[in-house]
Amino acid sequence: MSILKVENLHKNYGNIQALKGVTFTVPQGSVFGILGPNGSGKTTLLGIIMDILKATSGTFQLFDETPGPQHRRQIGTLLETPNFYHYLSGEKNLRIAASIKGKGENDIARVLELVDLTKRKGSKFSSYSLGMKQRLAVASTLLGNPQVLIFDEPTNGLDPVGIADTRELIKKLNREGKTIIMASHLLDEVEKVCTHAAILQRGVLLTHGHVDEILINEDIVELGAENKEQLMALLKNYPQSLSLKSTDQYVEVVFRSGEATLGKINEYCFSNGVVLNHLRLRRKSLETKFFELTSTNN
Amino acid sequence: MINNLKTEWLKIKNYKAFWIFLSLYLISIIAINYIAFEIYHQTVKQEPMAASMISDPYAFPNVWQTVGYMGSWLLYFPGIIIILLTSNEFTFKTHRQNIIDGWSRKDFVHTKLLLVFILSVIVTIISAVTAVIFGLASSEPFSSDGIVNVFYVFLQSLSYISLALLLAVLFRRSGVALIVFFLYGLIFESIIYGLINRYINDQAGYFLPLQGTDVLLPMPFGNKIFYNHAPEPVVLIISSLVYLGLYYFFLMRKFENDDL
Repeated sequence: MSILKVENLHKNYGNIQALKGVTFTVPQGSVFGILGPNGSGKTTLLGIIMDILKATSGTFQLFDETPGPQHRRQIGTLLETPNFYHYLSGEKNLRIAASIKGKGENDIARVLELVDLTKRKGSKFSSYSLGMKQRLAVASTLLGNPQVLIFDEPTNGLDPVGIADTRELIKKLNREGKTIIMASHLLDEVEKVCTHAAILQRGVLLTHGHVDEILINEDIVELGAENKEQLMALLKNYPQSLSLKSTDQYVEVVFRSGEATLGKINEYCFSNGVVLNHLRLRRKSLETKFFELTSTNN
Repeated sequence: MINNLKTEWLKIKNYKAFWIFLSLYLISIIAINYIAFEIYHQTVKQEPMAASMISDPYAFPNVWQTVGYMGSWLLYFPGIIIILLTSNEFTFKTHRQNIIDGWSRKDFVHTKLLLVFILSVIVTIISAVTAVIFGLASSEPFSSDGIVNVFYVFLQSLSYISLALLLAVLFRRSGVALIVFFLYGLIFESIIYGLINRYINDQAGYFLPLQGTDVLLPMPFGNKIFYNHAPEPVVLIISSLVYLGLYYFFLMRKFENDDL
């Protein structure tokens, strides 16, 4: 069963096309990252799925069914900003959420404890700090222990400890078998927790799939030597290399995934009279991949 | 629906501003009638001739209409309450959260309409009780003649508060909705009413949104002076119901189709 299936979704705001034919599927049990810079359409996409925005065209399914309120009740969702009644306490706000969901009323104490808000549960929402508001919103998503969670920028407004805690929480929830859909512009965040990702730019889905498939299609080898120019000249003719570029400190050579052998490269350089003082194989970071994808589409 | 109402109750149960405003409003219904009651009795005491010219407006059966008419001036207050409650949702974006958490868009509007209905019932009950109290305190024995005015109070409350809800959903911001509500209700409708009756048809003005129910509850003894060409009550009732239907249609259309 797929949790979410989006097909050819379009959304226009007047002349602006916020989503241009987005299609993807979120498999059950995955941590699915929706990546993109600010204004790429992430929140619009999730807003449509949650029925607070209307799609211009296209369809989507939740749990392989035509979506309805009963499906939303099975999903814990934090969209954009924490939306609560300012004049009510954190606890009373959760009571309202539980009442709408029709479950989780006995779960309020647990979720408040989970996000470390037990001591402030009686304080008005308006007196909460930005981080506390965000944590209350996370607590609300966990009410009734839903099997699917949607987080839009879940670490917004959190301090470094809060960010790490949220990351751990997401991993823990995933280990329990829950499916998590997470939109973020923080690539590092997605890279650390996601199993799957979709990359959006200006409403266009650039790529999607398993994180390993998206990321590991190239090996990058970093090399350093006293004479960088000589090293560059030497590596131009290195067999199987796909591309070559000089950075501030090093020379970077790109190979197809699994084709870079550090020993051979070292031997090649040494035998041609260049002594390396730096040699490292790295997996392409999501950030690099992201900038690559988005720049080719500019 | 009962569960949705329970959720709405959780929203307002601890909203102090709501309870203070509602209490002041309900007390005002009694207070404004007490003032008029006192003025009448003082006038009669000082000028006994007045009693022979005007029968006691607070004696049965007049009291049903008198209390309804006096209360109609205060109907802007429950309108304000519903505008504040609804625009709060837009300001805090909790209308979105309610949908995200699992209400349908229809649930949201229906629950607010249910609140409008309940407020109207409360207004009607308070008006009826006020009428009974002042009626019993006056010269004539209890009479249910003219009790139809209690129904008119209900219909008028429903009309005013529903219009307020529609304006809150259309404009989203309390300031704009309140200004439009007051300007239309207090000034523009009277101007349009006057112009229509003068230049188009001397009955057409009675079919304006609030005018119909206002005419159902005219100033005591003023029916024929102010509304001499007014259509039959049943026609005005139908007109009001048509407007309520239109409010519902536009509320649903706006809230069901728009981005929230």
